[in-house]
Formats: sequence, C-alpha cells, structure tokens
Amino acid sequence: MNTQKYSPLTDRLPEHIIAFRSDGAINVGQFLQAAKRLSEQLPAHKYVFNLFADRFHFLLGFCASVIAGQCTLLPPNRLARTLEQLSVDYPDSYTLEDPDSLCGELFAPGALDESAGAGNGVIPEIPENQLCAIAFTSGSTGKAKPNLKYWGTLRTGSMNNAGFLLKDIDRQISLLATVPPQHMWGFEASILLPLFGGAAVSHLTPFFPQDIVESLESLPEPRGLISSPVHLNVLLKSGVHPPKLERIYCATAPLEKSLALELEQRFKTRVVEVFGSSETGMLAFRQPSHENSWQLSGLFELDIQEGGVLVRGQHLPEQVLLQDVIEKTGENRFNLLGRHQDMLNIAGKRGSLTDLNRRLLAIPGVEDGVIFMPKGDTERLAALVVAPELEPSDIVGALRLEIDTVFLPRPVYMVSELPRQETGKMANEDLLNLYMEIVQMKKSVKRDCNPG
Amino acid sequence: MAAQTEQEKKMAELIIECLNLEDIRAEDIEPEEPLFGEGLGLDSIDALELALAITQNYAIQLKADDKNMQQAFGTLRSLNAFVMKNST
Repeated sequence: MNTQKYSPLTDRLPEHIIAFRSDGAINVGQFLQAAKRLSEQLPAHKYVFNLFADRFHFLLGFCASVIAGQCTLLPPNRLARTLEQLSVDYPDSYTLEDPDSLCGELFAPGALDESAGAGNGVIPEIPENQLCAIAFTSGSTGKAKPNLKYWGTLRTGSMNNAGFLLKDIDRQISLLATVPPQHMWGFEASILLPLFGGAAVSHLTPFFPQDIVESLESLPEPRGLISSPVHLNVLLKSGVHPPKLERIYCATAPLEKSLALELEQRFKTRVVEVFGSSETGMLAFRQPSHENSWQLSGLFELDIQEGGVLVRGQHLPEQVLLQDVIEKTGENRFNLLGRHQDMLNIAGKRGSLTDLNRRLLAIPGVEDGVIFMPKGDTERLAALVVAPELEPSDIVGALRLEIDTVFLPRPVYMVSELPRQETGKMANEDLLNLYMEIVQMKKSVKRDCNPG
Repeated sequence: MAAQTEQEKKMAELIIECLNLEDIRAEDIEPEEPLFGEGLGLDSIDALELALAITQNYAIQLKADDKNMQQAFGTLRSLNAFVMKNST
C-alpha cells in the first residue's frame, strides 16, 4: 500500500508529480521551490484575492500565500460589486489573476534546481492555527458571510476526504475539474486533494464535452473527473467518448440515480457523490448508482434541529447550523430530505430568496414584486413584478449588477398586481396559479400568431 | 435592425426552444446583439445546453480552445456562421 498517498506535500518524494501544466508535469520538488520563491515576491498584504482561472496558478499562488502568512479570499462570485464590497471589508489586500505575470517566470529553463529535494528546509512548517483562507457564502442579509479556514482544519478535513475519495485506488490519481478552484467544491477536490491526498491535478478547466474528453486524454491513468450534475448530464448526452476514467466525483446538487447509473455503465467508471458546504467542507459521501443514503465522514457529528442540522467537528473552528433537513438512518448514515424554504441552491451557488426579493423591491420604480421558483423540472427562478414604468429588461438589468447570474429570474412578467391577502402575505398556491395563467396566455398568443 | 437570414432564423428557433425562452420570438433575436451577458442575457448553463442542442442538431462538437469559439458564441450571426462552417 502506498503510504505516500495521504501525506501532506512536504512528506512526499520530490519526484512525485503534483500538477500538469501546459509545458508538462511539475513534481513536488520543483513545486515547493517555486512556491517558496513566489512567496518572497508577493505584494506585502494580509489578504489576497486569488482569482486565477488557471488551476495550476491558483494552486501555486495559494501555497505561496500560505508560506508568506497571507490569507486567501475566495469570493462567492466574480461580480465587480462583490469584489468591491469585499475590498472595503478587507482593505489590506491585493489580487492575483490571469493573465499571470509572476508564476511563468518561476519555471523558465534553468530557473529551478532540478535536483533539489522537497520539504525539509525549503518551506517552514505551517502552524495549525494559521488562517489560510476565507470562503464567502451568500447570506439572507445580503452581505457575504465569511467562513474561516485554518491550516489545521484544511489538513485534517482533506486527509479524511482523501480516505473516501481515493479508496480502492492503488496508484496516484490524475484529476481534472470542470468547476472553478475558488468555489469550495473545486477548492477541496482539485486543490486540497493534491496538497494533502497525493493526487496530481491538471491546470485546465474544460467546458464543452469535447474539451473535457481531450483534457482527460492528456492525463495519465488513473484519471478522476471532478464535476457537477449539469455538466455531467451534458457530457453524457453529447455522445462523446472519454478515455478510461477511474472515478467521477460529483457535487453541488443532488445527482439523479438514473444519471449516475448511465454514467457508470457508459463510461465504465464509478461515480462518487459528495455532500458538503462552504462552512464545513466535505461532509458525506455516497455512490448514487447504488445508494440513497449518505455515509457521514467520521470527523463530524450531526444534531437534528428545527428546520436544519447542527454540524460539529473537532477540527472546525466552530459548530455550524446547516439549513438542510435530514433523517438519520443508521450509524453515521443519513438521508437528505430537502432544504429549508428560504435557501436556494442553483448550479452549486447558495442564495436566499429573502435576499433576492429584498433587492427586487429596492429597484426604483418597482411597487411590488416577487421572485420565486416555479414548479416543474426547472432550476431557474421566475418573477412577477408591478412596475408601471419599467420593462422586464430593466428589472433584470438592475439585478444583474448585484446577484450571480444563476439567480437572475427568467421569465420576468409585468403584472398589474400580486395576489396578496389582506395581511400582505401571499399564498404559494395563488402565486403559482397566477404565474401559470400568464404562461398559458402567452403560449396561446404565440399559437394564434403562428398558425400551422 | 439587421435582417435575419433563413439559417439564422432556424438557429434562433433552436435557441428559443432548447432554452425555453418563453416571451421572445425567433424573429426578435437581433443577429448582431450579444447573446451572453447583455443583450439576450444568456449564462453559462445556457451555453452548455445550447452546445448540446447544436451537437444534436448539426452533428458537430464545439471546442472552446478553438480561438474562434469565444467569438462564435458572441451573437446569433457569429454562432450560425461558426456552426455552418463546421458542419459536414
């Protein structure tokens, strides 16, 4: 059994591969040298926005920042307004982003000592209580909520995650992710797994199915694909033929059992699904083709509460209340029953209906309005708005400045009034009925205009 | 507004159908208006679904590293031109 597998970077052999970049593979020895050099060149600030799109740059930048004692900020989205607000809250900060000017020089021919060893003496040991990152999530008040990640939390969590994700794989896995490294799922799976779990990771973030296939083909076996249900569904339906794939890792939204089965059969692979949160990191695992219930990671304890679940872990800085409704089904096993009504999860992004509605009503010219999730197999919000002087495009245009695109309502219908009761409250049924009426009316108008 | 060609109209119909854009007609999509961000306001999830619909209807696989790809998805006109050029 390869005992190097779950070791932090500094314990690994220097010739062990950690990443694949456009110019070839980088081993641990080279990587640590580069990270140390980069740490000495970074601007001197307490916080850094790591917005690198290139996954290798992100990995290198993150490690260099840790060595330099800086804290990496992971914003919930890339909207200018979000970054501006965070810069106000964290003024002692700078930004790392592509196109890169720092990392490339480190790997110029002859720049690194090929024979240098890794670990010992190259970089200092990182204290458990060093604050290494802050992951921001959207809260119901509209302000991004900070979730502090200390080195000890990340290391303990990641080594435990590696035990689940790399189970039954006896060689080093090469990882490819379609999700960004700034999002907690991408961060833990594609950045921390190489750091603490002995994996190697590709610098690419492919989008179209053919790109995913070609990126996988560029990696040695065994290969692991880190992705999400939307992307995996399109990958399957597109008819492309990926090369041999050892694992597919999926998170951010529940994966349909039928989709998991089809992925396993067609691509001859195993699909491992992860349930977690930005606050807690990866929490539980399952193989969705075979099981509905989740296996809780041994690091955590769950206490069911009103409308949610309290999560505790010795490695967490504090306990966390998640708005997911669960039922325990056995020793360290549980079923996910749903989310508390206010909280949305669209394409892996968390949002609050309360917050979205507050922003809608704050738009000048809007007298009344509601953003909601219509019934049916849609992941998109809709809106009904009372604003005599405005068009739907005005509403969407105003919202676009402040909220992530996945939460932008579509369609937006202008109405003369909303079906509110005397108390001001609106019954869900009345809202959905009005919406369906409008949808039907629009459909019949279309039909009348396009006979045949 | 610039007039749509027959091919562009078909592409517009595909966009509307596969993305369930209810309150717009095919002929209303301006050929030179941005599809993503501003203009029609499509997002990355739409891009994936649209790419799939194009694969299924025109039998081509889209690739982002093709330098032309970024521009191709810019407008209805550029997308149609790209697809036509790459279909057999």
